[in-house]
Amino acid sequence: MKLQKALSYSPRADFIVEVIQMVSGLLLVLFLWTHMLFVASILIGSNAFNGLSLFMEKNYLLPAAIVFLVLVGGAHIGAVIRRIPSRWAEQKIVWKHAKLIHHADTWSWLFQSVTGAAILALAIIHIAVVTYGGIDVIYSSGRIKHGFLVFYAVLLLLAEYHASVGLYRIFVKWGWVKRHKLHWVLGVISVLTVGIGATVLWIFFTMGVHA
Amino acid sequence: MIERELTFRIMRYNPDEPEKKPHLQEFHLTEEPGMSLFVVLNKLREEQDPTLRFDFVCRASICGSCGMLVNGRPTLACKTLTKDLPDVTTLLPLPVFKLLGDLSVDTGVWFRDMSFRTESWVHTDETFDPDAPEKRMDNAVALEIYEAERCIECGCCIGGCATANIKPDFIGAAGVNRVARFMVDPRDKRTEREYFEVVGNEDGVFGCIGLMACDDNCPVGVPLRDQLAYVRRKMASAGWRYQKV
Ligand code: FES
Repeated sequence: MKLQKALSYSPRADFIVEVIQMVSGLLLVLFLWTHMLFVASILIGSNAFNGLSLFMEKNYLLPAAIVFLVLVGGAHIGAVIRRIPSRWAEQKIVWKHAKLIHHADTWSWLFQSVTGAAILALAIIHIAVVTYGGIDVIYSSGRIKHGFLVFYAVLLLLAEYHASVGLYRIFVKWGWVKRHKLHWVLGVISVLTVGIGATVLWIFFTMGVHA
Repeated sequence: MIERELTFRIMRYNPDEPEKKPHLQEFHLTEEPGMSLFVVLNKLREEQDPTLRFDFVCRASICGSCGMLVNGRPTLACKTLTKDLPDVTTLLPLPVFKLLGDLSVDTGVWFRDMSFRTESWVHTDETFDPDAPEKRMDNAVALEIYEAERCIECGCCIGGCATANIKPDFIGAAGVNRVARFMVDPRDKRTEREYFEVVGNEDGVFGCIGLMACDDNCPVGVPLRDQLAYVRRKMASAGWRYQKV
């Protein structure tokens, strides 16, 4: 052992970061799905959506959600950043490697880091817009009508992709489920989530048109 | 059967001539029934280019010396049949390992280093008595050990691993599988905590990001995904109780 290693020896550090990465990831997926269920209240009707939004506002659930996202999202970013090759030479190696070996799961890892970075940027915009613009059927449909449709469609797809690949990775690494079954289950969940999200977006978009 | 004309694009590189950049050289030959890459490469060396470098020993998936990238996939050349290949095939040496020239790499140094770092020997304080009858081992345990020992150290799991490609100290699936072998061995008296200090970190099992190219590419079908998960779970429980044990 070398002196610098002996002085900073913390055998559990890597394990703890791995746990933080997994737990924060799972919490974020849970958040994503809850979020999708909440916005899906528009499927019941405008009153349901507005009622839920009012309820959340009254009980400080919106600021709570933001604090949650900053903390858990921050922890997740802090943990996963170590996985992303930071040096240019390493980046070149992994992309070349993926192209070379024709292996789907290797590609999905690269996409995972790319979508992760994109989600970070888009989610910040999304949160800022929602916080300042407010959540209400009129505001939301207005936003989606005037330019945000594509933005939300992209964010929806990226988030769902990142979440399902992340979940897949966790289950594969810990060996809890058979891989093929996992592909299937996560595929169904993704299609459902994207389906719900797309329907919601469409409803808001047409509302915005009629308003 | 119409005979196919096969094209092989083979990487040429000689570390003794660094001024010549690695490049792909094209070779052509006529396919024969039951032809494997072992036959192809030997034919090419005999008939077309005696300087071509590659390794084979057993030509029967036993010695592990012929691992290479066949159209990008890490696999054993001796068990690859040309009938499963397209008309044009690219052959590259395995990455990560020291390149000796053309398709030949030195897996030995890497595996030796990994063996040292994972302390791949039975740790025990019992003194060995050569006259005593051998202790019996439960058959199920023996089979479990054997499953891990089937690894032929060809390095395909390492060459195909994105992490191993950028992290020189990562022990990869071969290393984790090796550790798993000692973990199930009742003769090894290492505690969970001792194992944790060896593999409970980023260079060990927690460096794995779960791409499972190792599991998908292992030419002898060692259940690497199960081995990785087994060691990961063991090390997680050791990490969890680290202060107490
Ligand atoms: S030559 Fe021995 S494994 Fe291929």
